[in-house]
Order: sequence, then structure tokens, then C-alpha cells
Amino acid sequence: MLKDITIGQYYEGKSLLHKSDPRMKIIWLIALIVLIFLAQNMYALGFAAISVIIAIVISRVPIKMYLKNMKTILPILLFTAVINLFYGEGEVLFSLFGKINITDGGIYRSVFMALRILLFIFISSVLTYTTTPNDLTDAIESLLSPLKFIGLKSAVHTLAMMMTITLRFIPTLIEEAEKIMNAQKARGADLESGGLTKRVKALIPILVPLLISAVRRSYELAAAMECRCYNGGEGKTRMKKMRLSLIDLFLSLACIIIGAGIITLNILL
Amino acid sequence: MSVLEIKSLTHSYTDGSPFINDAVSDVSFSVEKGEIIGIIGHTGSGKSTLVQHLNGLLKPTSGEILFESENIWQKPKEIRKIRSKVGLVFQYPEYQLFEETVFADIAFGPKNMGLSGDELTRQVEEICRLIGIKEEYYSKSPFDLSGGEKRRVAIAGVMAMKPEVIIFDEPTAGLDPKGREEITEIIKAYRESTGATVIIISHSMEDMAEIADKILVMNKGKLEMFDETDKVFSNGAHLKEIGLNVPTVTKVFEKLYDMGIDVEKDVFTVNKAVEILTELKGRDNNA
Repeated sequence: MLKDITIGQYYEGKSLLHKSDPRMKIIWLIALIVLIFLAQNMYALGFAAISVIIAIVISRVPIKMYLKNMKTILPILLFTAVINLFYGEGEVLFSLFGKINITDGGIYRSVFMALRILLFIFISSVLTYTTTPNDLTDAIESLLSPLKFIGLKSAVHTLAMMMTITLRFIPTLIEEAEKIMNAQKARGADLESGGLTKRVKALIPILVPLLISAVRRSYELAAAMECRCYNGGEGKTRMKKMRLSLIDLFLSLACIIIGAGIITLNILL
Repeated sequence: MSVLEIKSLTHSYTDGSPFINDAVSDVSFSVEKGEIIGIIGHTGSGKSTLVQHLNGLLKPTSGEILFESENIWQKPKEIRKIRSKVGLVFQYPEYQLFEETVFADIAFGPKNMGLSGDELTRQVEEICRLIGIKEEYYSKSPFDLSGGEKRRVAIAGVMAMKPEVIIFDEPTAGLDPKGREEITEIIKAYRESTGATVIIISHSMEDMAEIADKILVMNKGKLEMFDETDKVFSNGAHLKEIGLNVPTVTKVFEKLYDMGIDVEKDVFTVNKAVEILTELKGRDNNA
């Protein structure tokens, strides 16, 4: 149920991708997503798919973990595939109800779109599985640091801190929500049956206490941070410094090769 | 007649990891009507998991739970009915309050059971009177109350369903001594007026000795002991082995005994201790 939600789920490991610089990983992810978008034909997309598979293999995260993510995304995937099925041109293969034509172009398009979404999900999961949420926010803070030259110095740190806190409290709030749900169920609350309005109404006894506890927690956290002299990133040093290494150079080269490959395949075929 | 019967209950958490943890493993016991059962055990020993089975919040991986000789999972669709018969007050129940007024919050449970109108009002008022929530509180917001008052309202919310068995998961946690005493009084009052069976999870051996007829000891998901309170606490060495303890007053008497003073070792409540010491003093004065 609620526990199935996987946001920022890090999978402990020692692969090349785990060791590489989180800032570079974000850049590669953005680059690969753009490249997957740029792939115009099956050959280019196929090449991208092979690259993603290689990335999954060197991440050394069990394939089961990636497939688990699929469960939540499956409805969107199916929806995209089915919708695109009807928007193709070309030879009519068969007709549904005598009106809706399914063409070979439609099938091609449907597979293409589904594969594209699949690749987005997988490549994004590679990042979240190999990078801890804290590393991610540190990397984002570092990547956004040029903003301080246009007078947004504290904004960068604040943003990163907000993201860290959000990520940190997602599991806590899930746990809290489950506790409250159980408590209300014990008072006979019916969360599983009834129409839409009834179900939405049934959420009130859960959302109100959850919201109140979130506010209470935020006060407590603010007090705790002040007790430890938090002053908003001023003069902050880091225990773990991010440094580029040979691995990063090597993987950047790989990304450039993938990019070149996709663009070449786009033009040639 | 046994009101609750637990037959080789096992519950495993998988959590998606390859490890399977038996939070509760092969636990069997039965609870007679009107008894007060105390459940003690180390943190993580499976106490909370165990009690969440008794009202059908968790489904056993294997084993059965019988309420009045009927398997509660016989008709899974009607599991909600069992929750009004076996009330469960969670740890820190004040965090489940949500309504605009105290009265409405207490009425949430009975309303879910299908009560309405006069009947609902009567049942809520009855509980409020029983456990001392004054009428001027009815229209207050539960969020304006003090911590102890909030907990009282939250407990009333479960009691208002008039469960035949009522379970408390650490009802006195985080309260000051006066608050703790008040909660214990509420529990006693409910039991006296309804004859309900009471199950309490607690870390306070003193409270347990004071109130429980029988004690169930959990250790690492297994049932370690289930016996009358005196018998469980006379097994102090075994309790200490599994990270538990005996009431402080018992320790005092063990020390006195070791010092060669002629007293019983098995003293578990303060009242009993006073009795014995008074008698001892009388003897001394006579001598």
C-alpha cells in the first residue's frame, strides 16, 4: 500500500555509478533524456535502449528493483500505447467496429512511444538507485551555485535545504499516515468501500491529523535547527566534498558516444 | 467462556527485502471474559503487532483468532464489525483527533457503527459522564485541550463504541504521574461499569502489578510466559534475562530478604508492602 511508494529509493552498492560524482550523474541524466527525445527512428531509439540497458547493468542494482518501479507507471504506459495506436498513418491492418482503423504506422508509433517512456523511467531510476537523496540535493545545490552571481545566494541553499527536508520527511509522514489510518480504522472508519464522494470524505479523519502533525513536526524541527545554530548555509563547510574523478571522465565520454551514435543514426537512417 | 482465543498466530513482515521476519511467531493463548491482561515485553518484541491482530487490523500470516468462538476472518467483508467489539486504543491516541468539537470526535466511532440521533447522543454522553468529561467541554475544539485532556477524549472515542474487549497500547506513555493515575482510573471505571475485558500493553511493571490479573510476556515475537501476575513477577530472574524487570517495590523486598530480614520476597504492589511492613513494625513493638 503506502509502503510501495518509492521516492528517492537508494540501493546500496559499490558500482561505478555509485562512485561517480552526483553532479555529473544529473548532467548525464538530463543529456540522455534530451537524446532519447531526439531519437527519431527505431534504430536511434534502439541504440538508446541498449545504452540504458548497459547503464542498468553497470549500476549493479538487481533488475527486480527496476521492474518494481514499473508497477506504478504501467497505467500511464498502457494509456500512451493505446492512444497512439489510433494515430498512425499507412496501411490499414484491421478495423475495430468497422470504424476505427489500426494501421501499421499506428502500431509502430505506439511501440515507439511506450519504449520512450520506459527508457525515461529506467534511466531516471538508475540515478535514484545509485545516488542517496542527500547526495542528490547537494549536487543540485552545487549545480545551481552559479545563481549566486545574480544575487540569489541564499535562495540556492534554501532550496536545497527544503528539498533535503522534504525527502527526509516523506518516509516519516508515510509512517504517520499509516498509524493514523489504523487508529481511525480501529474506530470503525470505512476506507475501502463506497462511492467517490464517500471515499473522499473518509479521508478527512486521516488528513486533518496528518496535517496537524506535519505542522507540529515543522515547529519542532525549526526549534531543533535553531538550537544547533542553523544560520542558513553561511560559512558552511562540507564533510564530503564532491570531486570529479577518472570514472566521471570515462562515463562522460560514454555519454558523448551515445549522443553521437543517436544523432548519426537519426541522420543516416 | 473465553472471549478471545488466539491459536498459533504467526505474522511475518516481508518489506520487499529477501529477509522474512516473524514479528509474531506461533503465539497461542486465550482470554477469559472480564479479565485484565497485561502485556509486557522489550521494544520490538511484537506486542503491538500482536494486539493489532485482535481487532482485525492485521491479518495473520497463519493461525486463527477466535472472538466468542468465531474466527474473525471467516467473513472478511464484515471485519469492521469486530472493530466495534474489540476496541483498540493506540499509542498517543491524541494524534488521531480530527473533528471540530470534542463531542463530534467522540461520536465518530459509534457513528461508524451506524448509531445516530438520540441513541448516539445518549451513548456519547454516557461515556463522557463515566470518565469525567464535563458538559462544557462538548463544544470545545479538541485541539484547544491540554495533552492529558486530549488523551482522555481520544480514549473516550474508542470507549464510546462500547467494545466488549478494549485494548490499550501504552495508555500512559508520556504523561505526568497525575495524568497516568487518571488514565488508570478511567480504565478501571470503564471495566466496572461494562464488565469489559481489558488488555493493556505497558512498560510500567508497577502499573501492571497494580491492575492486571494475568500477565503475558512477549520476547522476540514469541510468547515467553502467560500466567497470573504473582507467578510471572515471582520469576524475576527470568524477566531480567529478557530485558524486563520486576516492580521496584519487589526489588526492595528482595534486598530486605537478602539482608536477612524475615519478609516474603514476593511482594508486587505498594499496598501489599505497606501491609507487611506495618505488621513487621507491630511485631517489633511487641517484642
